[in-house]
Amino acid sequence: MTSCIYLESGIRHHPLAQNILERLHRLPVIEIEHFGEVFNPRAQNFRLQKKNPAIIIASKNKGHVLAAPEGYGLGGDHNYYFSHMLNCLYDCRYCFLQGMYRSAHQVVFVNYEDFGEQIRQTAASHGQAPVWFFSGYDCDSLANEPLTHFTEYFIPLVASIENAWMELRTKSTQVRSMLNQEPVARVVTAFSFSDRFSHDSLEHGVPSIAKRIDAMRRLSDAGWPVGLRFDPVVYHENYELGFSELLDQVFAEIDADGLHSVSLGAFRLTRDHFHRVSRLYPDEPLFAQNMQLDNGIVSYPSARERQMIEFCEAQLMKYIPVQTYHPCEWHD
Amino acid sequence: MLIWVAALHCEASPVIDFYRLRKSQGEKAFDLYLGDDMACIVSGVGKLASAAASAWMAARYRDEASLAWINIGTAGAARHDIGAIFLLDKIVDGDTAKCYFPAPTSIPLLPGSACLTLSQPSRDYREDCLFDMEASGFISSALRFSSAELIRCIKVVSDNRHAETGRNREQVSALIRQHIDSIEQQTTDLLALNNEVAALEFSAESWQRLLALAHFTQTQQNRLRVLWRYLHNRDLGPEALLQELSTRRTAASMIDMLERISHGNSETL
Repeated sequence: MTSCIYLESGIRHHPLAQNILERLHRLPVIEIEHFGEVFNPRAQNFRLQKKNPAIIIASKNKGHVLAAPEGYGLGGDHNYYFSHMLNCLYDCRYCFLQGMYRSAHQVVFVNYEDFGEQIRQTAASHGQAPVWFFSGYDCDSLANEPLTHFTEYFIPLVASIENAWMELRTKSTQVRSMLNQEPVARVVTAFSFSDRFSHDSLEHGVPSIAKRIDAMRRLSDAGWPVGLRFDPVVYHENYELGFSELLDQVFAEIDADGLHSVSLGAFRLTRDHFHRVSRLYPDEPLFAQNMQLDNGIVSYPSARERQMIEFCEAQLMKYIPVQTYHPCEWHD
Repeated sequence: MLIWVAALHCEASPVIDFYRLRKSQGEKAFDLYLGDDMACIVSGVGKLASAAASAWMAARYRDEASLAWINIGTAGAARHDIGAIFLLDKIVDGDTAKCYFPAPTSIPLLPGSACLTLSQPSRDYREDCLFDMEASGFISSALRFSSAELIRCIKVVSDNRHAETGRNREQVSALIRQHIDSIEQQTTDLLALNNEVAALEFSAESWQRLLALAHFTQTQQNRLRVLWRYLHNRDLGPEALLQELSTRRTAASMIDMLERISHGNSETL
């Protein structure tokens, strides 16, 4: 339940800020100078704050578009990400955001026009070459759509830039806004899934697998490119059964040949993120599993990870064409 | 453990009376009142005194798994009626302009307000907020020992443009006492949150018994702490574990045993 709104005084009159304030008019509003005053202090408990996160309405003044991390992409040569929001509505226990941010408050950067300008400039800097812009890195792209109107702004923007491609990554079922727009071939909505065991244990607040498959199918039927992201795959004693059942469930509804892309990766976190999140959740079995540290990344021991990936890939290849598959490459 | 910090006895007495806290004898630095799961310290006026009292309490209760804090007191306000109660959501230090933000609560039963902490009393009610003399000192100190989610400031208006009751001790106590039900709700909520955090920690006693079994290097102790905390939270019976561990000869073999138990336990999510 959202507890209150922190509002940067300088952005108060922005139309999107006003829209959010009107929609959440019952909540107390606390004025601040800069979102960092509330978001950045060390003495915050992410776990406790997640029970009653606030919305922080802010303006992003720099770093609107950043180069994507190494290995993050779908085969394109030019990959960037942008974050109109920080933090996610959902509470997935494997998520790196818990370890990256001190605060669980959701920051909404309402100055979309500045993001848009940077996206244009970045795309133009690569001439005619395709340029990918990944949303959903620091948040769920669609979960807060009724509040943020993210797709209403950014989809037409990307559609107007001929060499721009965009991935929306989501666990949400908030597809209504997109269904009210003409599909754009260069906008891919990627739905993340975990098997039912992992979903029940680790994905708090996330809509059911069935509802998300349904949302994905409706988008696909309307002509929107869609993708699948099986990332992270979490080890547990029933992971093989769980993953097989998940694929059966997905491909009973989704046309495998119509997919834009499918990616797969095992659970992994940077060392610092892992240490922070495991201190927040010392009772969480996921963080007590047998893990290794390899080049600054905490993940399953190599043999186990290889076994998991090989199994999951073998199952996937029963359904999808190989050219659709993009494994998550994080090992050097 | 819940720590109450009040500047004056008249501000503390409604809480002391309601929770039947008993005066701790022999304390020299501050007057201290104790209960089973809470304590109340009378700091004296001013942010320095409030910060010092908070730090003193944190040191006194350093072995507690988690500390929660409430600063209870009176404030001045330009616009609000005498006796109005607020839960502070923004605290500004009048000298440094530094801002602090107590975390929003799950039960916003009290209206929120910003508060400017001054170094001297003032009748210049020019800002649209409360005025006090302790909050910024209190919270800047408390944040060193607890996260913002476990810290609250409750202020009752004792002075405004039309009336001043802040110097009348009986009236101050009465103003706070009239809100004791709301204060109790905040206290109950905060204690529940604090207990949730405290429950994640193992007891100091079991930790000491564990360390006594072998010589653990600092690195081993760091690993041991993580494992012991996990197994504590999975209700895997410290007595049985300690018994099993005592059959091992070396620190490394003990850690190895705890690792294997943790790994086995965690594969079912």
